[in-house]
Amino acid sequence: MAYRNIPTSQILTDRRTFLTMAGAAWAAALAPEAAFALARTDAIYASAFMAPDGSYGVATLTEAGEIIERVPLPARAHGMTWSPVTNRAVAFARRPGTYAMIFAPDDSVEPVVITSIEGRHFYGHGCFSADGRLLYATENDFANNRGMIGVYDGTNNFARIGEFPSYGIGPHDMTLAQDGKMLVVANGGIETHPDFGRTKLNLDHMEPSLALIDTANGALIERHAMPDNLRQLSTRHVDIDADGKVWFACQYEGARNDLPPLAGSFSRGEDIRFVDLPEETTLALANYVGAIAVNRREGLIGLTSPKGGTAVTIDAKTGKVVRQDSLADAAGIAPSAHGFVASSYSGQFGETQSRVAWDQHIVGIGKL
Amino acid sequence: MRHRHILLLGLGLAFLSLPALAQDSEEISPPRAGLKQDAVPGVMQKAVDDFIRPGYRDLAEGTEALAEAAHMLCEKPSDETLGDVQMSFDEVVQQWSTIEIVRVGPVIEGNRFERFLFFPDRKSTGLKQVQRILATNDETATSADTLKGKSVAAQGLGALEYVLYGTGAEVLPSETNGFRCRYGAAIADNLKSVAAELHAEWEKPDGVQAAWKNPGPANPLYRDGKEAATELLGILVHGVESIRDQRLRPFYAGIIKGAPDKGHPKMAIYWRSGNTMPALSANFTALQTLFNAADMQALLPKEDQSVVSAVNYVLQAIVDDADQIDLPIDEAIADDEQRGRLNRILQNTNDVLQRLNLDFGAAIGLGAGFSFADGD
Repeated sequence: MAYRNIPTSQILTDRRTFLTMAGAAWAAALAPEAAFALARTDAIYASAFMAPDGSYGVATLTEAGEIIERVPLPARAHGMTWSPVTNRAVAFARRPGTYAMIFAPDDSVEPVVITSIEGRHFYGHGCFSADGRLLYATENDFANNRGMIGVYDGTNNFARIGEFPSYGIGPHDMTLAQDGKMLVVANGGIETHPDFGRTKLNLDHMEPSLALIDTANGALIERHAMPDNLRQLSTRHVDIDADGKVWFACQYEGARNDLPPLAGSFSRGEDIRFVDLPEETTLALANYVGAIAVNRREGLIGLTSPKGGTAVTIDAKTGKVVRQDSLADAAGIAPSAHGFVASSYSGQFGETQSRVAWDQHIVGIGKL
Repeated sequence: MRHRHILLLGLGLAFLSLPALAQDSEEISPPRAGLKQDAVPGVMQKAVDDFIRPGYRDLAEGTEALAEAAHMLCEKPSDETLGDVQMSFDEVVQQWSTIEIVRVGPVIEGNRFERFLFFPDRKSTGLKQVQRILATNDETATSADTLKGKSVAAQGLGALEYVLYGTGAEVLPSETNGFRCRYGAAIADNLKSVAAELHAEWEKPDGVQAAWKNPGPANPLYRDGKEAATELLGILVHGVESIRDQRLRPFYAGIIKGAPDKGHPKMAIYWRSGNTMPALSANFTALQTLFNAADMQALLPKEDQSVVSAVNYVLQAIVDDADQIDLPIDEAIADDEQRGRLNRILQNTNDVLQRLNLDFGAAIGLGAGFSFADGD
């Protein structure tokens, strides 16, 4: 998941002051080589990983992929989010996981671990409100087979203070519109139940959709179902471009030798439009896009496919592929100074190979 | 939607290269050999022909015998005909516990898995539906045709177990064509029908078995050997996870904060019929059988062959322990020696999971994260 929130100038000023102070303390506490890497990087990222001994954690990294610091996690995490206002990052347990860990990347406060309530589990994604005070998480009300958005209060140790529907089955990734008034939720449409592990229970009658939800009251603003001939096209990941357009990426559960569209976009009030990718790109994405990111400054969309071992960059205006790289086990993608930084399950992150398996998502956490 | 043109796949794709990798001196992964692609079709063929197809064939035969025995009980109720049904039920539990590790393909279409076995039944919703059918003599539950339209919880092995062993089952050996017996026979017919469908699906020469055996660009399931090998290893890894998380831990969670879990014996699968540990044993035996019958060893480079004996050793230890737990499950949890075996099964389950997921996956070139890209 990429950097998405745009704070006000006032907040930015406060934040810079705060972060400069906090960052100096953080750097002083790091090992010398990590502090050096931190000093010369232009951007900092975070990603969950699995270590060679099978343990799990989350790491902060430079844009070159050098690991700055690692934090252990109780179980495997998946997606991440970050609030530039409060400088809190979150690692969400992978479905059907039941925890999320909220931490300050500069170690300025003790991490908080929250657990899902009875009858729910997390889906691995979430995002903060614009002011950073609320944390939204995609959750499964599995007894009733409906997606929910749990709401947690960042001013009260992330106590769960409410919920509203995701207006679909299997909500996965979620992001916040730039004005903070709307959540964009990718309902993958696939029914799962923790009693059946990760087994997909309804591949023959999926209901994928994209929902726009009002953050003020949890009401549905609009919902876009996939066309009837693409009901097995699971909408899984979303991001928003500089014009407020929603970009989404899909995983196809139908026949492996079909060539479905795998990404698309829409603006509020408009119908969805699929990106018409060249056949060679569709083949390379192997019917499975694992992550999507927008580089707002450059107007680029990045996609990764672990199954296809591919990273693709698309021009947001024209929909044309401007770059296609072979990257075995491609995992996360996030905007960088020029284009994107991508990671892999086999340990690559940008230009660095590390002895960990990076999980599916990267989040930008600014520059301290 | 477009469909792939096979001819195009032979063309090289113009990938851009990534910048040369810097190497963090403390963080370097040793290079691993790639997947032995040419060994994959043979392994997949053996998995299908020597494990999956025989598994569904046995289940089809076993459920046919069960249905026949159930109808015989209704027509000629006696302790002997009831014993025949119970024996057939035990047999079907063994057969299902063998093939149920395959949670991909036709079994997860049309709710077949849940129609055959709805478990766990956390809030007893399934049990209540079965009890309601029995209390109201709901005649629509006495024919497989109408039964299949009811809740999946009322038409599978769990429902039949309650009919045979639950409260009120004492009428079975004495009541000719009684409601309870006819409901049980309809469940058996339903199981026979689902098993026959599964058997037929896997026997179609150009159906799922062909897709499994021939990974390739035109294949509707697996585009290449890596995707096929990932699915096969996924059956083993997810099988171990499922047995641990959905079958073992719900009734006994092991040592928690230094003390043994007091357990929830009525959360154990098949506790009424005493099939809990035989079913678990069959689950683990099935994992070992698939691992060996498919000759998954053929995917390993020479230097990593020791993974095979390690996996076999641990799986066999689990099966041996499971077979030695012969007390009813509530008594087994309370018994020091039998509980010790349960603890060891849990430990070994974690161990074999690591060996399959990390050691085997990495050794056959799928990378440590081979199971990462399975739907997120």
